[in-house]
Amino acid sequence: MVSEFAAGATVKPGLFGAAMLVMALFVLSQTPARAEADSKTGATADTEFSQQLGELKKSFADVGRTIDESAKSNDTIQNPEQGRKSIEELRDQVSTLLNAVADNGEISKLGAKALSLADEKLKSLDRETRYKPEEKQYLVNRWRELKTATEAAIRELDGARKDFSELLRSLQTSEDYIGELMQIREHEKALQVIHQLSEGIRDASVKLKKLLGAIQPPGV
Amino acid sequence: MRPMARPIAAAALLALGACEMGGSTGYVELKTVPVAARMPALFLDADKVDAKAGVTVLRQPVGTARLQADIGEGKVLLCHVVVKKNRITTVTISPLERPPRCQCERTGNDSKACIG
Repeated sequence: MVSEFAAGATVKPGLFGAAMLVMALFVLSQTPARAEADSKTGATADTEFSQQLGELKKSFADVGRTIDESAKSNDTIQNPEQGRKSIEELRDQVSTLLNAVADNGEISKLGAKALSLADEKLKSLDRETRYKPEEKQYLVNRWRELKTATEAAIRELDGARKDFSELLRSLQTSEDYIGELMQIREHEKALQVIHQLSEGIRDASVKLKKLLGAIQPPGV
Repeated sequence: MRPMARPIAAAALLALGACEMGGSTGYVELKTVPVAARMPALFLDADKVDAKAGVTVLRQPVGTARLQADIGEGKVLLCHVVVKKNRITTVTISPLERPPRCQCERTGNDSKACIG
């Protein structure tokens, strides 16, 4: 498809030169602005990480309530098909949680950025000669505290990722097993699997509540 | 037909982009065994994976992704990873083997495809 575009394109040399000049001017005009924006991004990485963690806690609390309700309604399910539907809905909720803490998700990237910012700051403060020793020490201490808090938050997120992955896998495996049981018309056995799952869901809900208590946005 | 090819192709690309933007998400869990082994650079489709020692969980659009490793002689296809909506596909990679090999929890008809 790309080669067809290329083959079909005819560009006049004069026009091409003008276009290149405009492009070069545009790139040059953007460079200082981009550099400024990049430095601003670096400087706010820790603040942004804290804000995102705060928002994450709020959204996780909402999902936690839905999971609690699912565990309650799961106990009363009398029909395997209804149970499968309920597990599918739960997978959707757990997916929301995992999406937020995935390694290639926004929060994980911000966490890594905030940590590298703290490292860079500590290195640059080490070379700093403008401030009085006590002023320099104060800044170093504050950045060390921020770094420790960021590392702790990242550890909590790592733990959450592990828990949510396990829960998602357990839900999908149970759902597949229930599907297999239904194929051989073992409806009673399928119901047993659904009811046993409630315990796992409650356990996940407890873990989620612990996580909500443990996550502390750095610098707050 | 030919003059119409470009607008149609552009429309198809736009539609594809829109599908991906609003598309569903699944997850890929990459496990490294042994944990301490040095992992070559991994790529899931075009994206380089920042694989951690042990376990890395990545969100990925629903569909089939190519897991590749750069072992110094260019990228080598390790396996296809089938990603389903709100499901997790686990792939264990042993970097000690040359090229690294995928071990799937569940494979499809194609033994080089891990499914979730």
